[in-house]
Amino acid sequence: MKLIRKRKDHEHEYIAVTPGDDKYVVRNPFSEELRINGHRKEIKIFENEEGFTFIEFKNKKYLAEITDKSQNKYTVLLNGVSYSFTIESPISYRRRKYLEKYKQHNKIEIVTAPMPGKVLELLVEESSHVKEGEAILILEAMKMQNEIIAQVTGKVKRISVKAGDSVTKDDVLMEIER
Amino acid sequence: MKIKSLLIANRGEIAVRINETAKRLGIKTYGIKTSKESNALYLRLVDDVIDFAELVDEIPEFLDVERIIEAARSNKIEAIYPGYGFLAENPYFARRCEEENIIFIGPSASAIYKMGNKTIAKQIAQKHKVPLLQGSQGNVKDIKEAADIAAIIGYPVILKAAAGGGGRGMRIVEKASHLEKMFKMATSESEKAFNDPSVFIEKYVRNPRHIEFQIAGDMHGNYIYIGERECSIQRKHQKLIEESPSVALDEKLRREMGEAAIMVARSVNYYSAGTVEFLLDDDRNYFFMEMNTRIQVEHPVTEMVSGIDLIELQILIAEGQKLPYSQDQVKLTGWAIECRINAEDVQAGFSPNLGIIEKISFPRGKNIRVDSGVTDYSVITPYFDSMVAKLIVHGETRDKAITAMSAALRKFWIRGIKTTIPFCQAVLNHKKFRRGDFNTSFIEKEMTKLYYNDEEDEMLAAYVAAFDFAAELETNRTTKPDFERGKNISPWVLNKRLKSL
Repeated sequence: MKLIRKRKDHEHEYIAVTPGDDKYVVRNPFSEELRINGHRKEIKIFENEEGFTFIEFKNKKYLAEITDKSQNKYTVLLNGVSYSFTIESPISYRRRKYLEKYKQHNKIEIVTAPMPGKVLELLVEESSHVKEGEAILILEAMKMQNEIIAQVTGKVKRISVKAGDSVTKDDVLMEIER
Repeated sequence: MKIKSLLIANRGEIAVRINETAKRLGIKTYGIKTSKESNALYLRLVDDVIDFAELVDEIPEFLDVERIIEAARSNKIEAIYPGYGFLAENPYFARRCEEENIIFIGPSASAIYKMGNKTIAKQIAQKHKVPLLQGSQGNVKDIKEAADIAAIIGYPVILKAAAGGGGRGMRIVEKASHLEKMFKMATSESEKAFNDPSVFIEKYVRNPRHIEFQIAGDMHGNYIYIGERECSIQRKHQKLIEESPSVALDEKLRREMGEAAIMVARSVNYYSAGTVEFLLDDDRNYFFMEMNTRIQVEHPVTEMVSGIDLIELQILIAEGQKLPYSQDQVKLTGWAIECRINAEDVQAGFSPNLGIIEKISFPRGKNIRVDSGVTDYSVITPYFDSMVAKLIVHGETRDKAITAMSAALRKFWIRGIKTTIPFCQAVLNHKKFRRGDFNTSFIEKEMTKLYYNDEEDEMLAAYVAAFDFAAELETNRTTKPDFERGKNISPWVLNKRLKSL
């Protein structure tokens, strides 16, 4: 009897994991027994007549929108700020944590384009050494020239673009080996 | 002569704004339709639409001088209003209008030319003893000359495009060793943006406030200033929040700067509305920067405190009428603030957030004004700027205006794109902003976080994601749709179902 109950509980438990690996354990999302990280919360979701969705919490209203989701990956816009989560079941969460322990630390820093634009100039070459904070590339976007700064100190392993290339957001620009 | 027809050579919120005043004055309005946003709001509001369906010789529609002139001529339109950006400060365009006997709503071509060329503008200001920042006597030839001048006036210095604006071709040089790199960047950027690589150099004032004066002059030599605008809240030289008046000015300084602004305007026989920009340092010394010979994006704050419709004023002046107000009749009351709501992802370094506005709802109320060129389903395209709307509020005092703005921002709802709303909200809530203690480096220094939220926001967002995920699982489990349960279902799931019906 006890065992069945436990399984049932698990079915109604969802773990929202942030990119920084913080977790929000949401239990009983539909009922008044809602608990987040073990604490009772009174949260309402409703739609207004104009078709906007709001969260009501502690007498405050929050404009909410799911801007992206694919399978269990969610991006939620709450009061204009985006939050990303992966929703996992308690079992899959535990399994992943276990596997992560065995994962090797990544030595390669991948530099991506922070915004769409055009590569104007490369300030480094393959196999040159860069220091954290050093400008490595100039990206022109909205007619402004933006310096792309190295976030780590290391050696340029690979450059994936050349001057004049158009890139979209998140395109890989280069790889730096720590 | 009374203007009866007007071609609005612009788009977006300013086209909507111009159209509103022109129609109120009984003027027939024409808009230009481009293939880039053929469904834009302003096209639905103007009396007649001129279709620039295809590009001619690759010239962007709103920059095609001859095509716009021809459109006015063939449709027998009496006047052209350029708005801001595009051809607004192009003296050649103003001249072509003069040649074709089309009324250009703005100043004379010669005034635009003189003030548009920053080197000439500074010479004029200097001649009239308006305080200036030390710098090159004109454009600098090469890096060598720039280095020589910088050595005299001392670092930091700023390099600016002679034909520039909007922060393009502008570089701050902190020390001599950076000069070469920055000089190259400034010249190549201005070459690209303005077809003119010339730059000039001047002393860089740290922590200055950007204070600009709204002036207006008629063709009969009468001038007024309509107070100042405080535009120090800017990011990379792009203004984000503007207000009028400024906490930094008192009546005496206001009068002094206002009169200096008029002096600059008068020296080029300026007519129409215009803006004279100053830097104000900590010791309340002011320095002339430049004059903008057009309506400014932030003009509504001046309209809110003065009750003057600046577009109407420009039209009356273009008709040859005298200014309807004397300086004594310009009365400024209360405080106005404007927030620019741009489709930008603040979390991604303010990168433009292109896309479709699925739904938009503006705050309403007394003392709230929204200038916008978008509606539901409008597209934010990469072709034009990313502005969604300007939200302007008026209050009796600065505090009241800030509180009202904060409340209005909470009722500015938009779905489909990300905007600068949370960022504006965070600036308004900042202690230093509230105190009026800020300058042009405020955002750079104080607003260094990637995003601004309350403690519990992330938890609520997590709940939304978990709720939706759970609701989807639930609906997948039920083989038969159970409409009875529809009322308890996630709005997102419900929306999806409705869409698929």
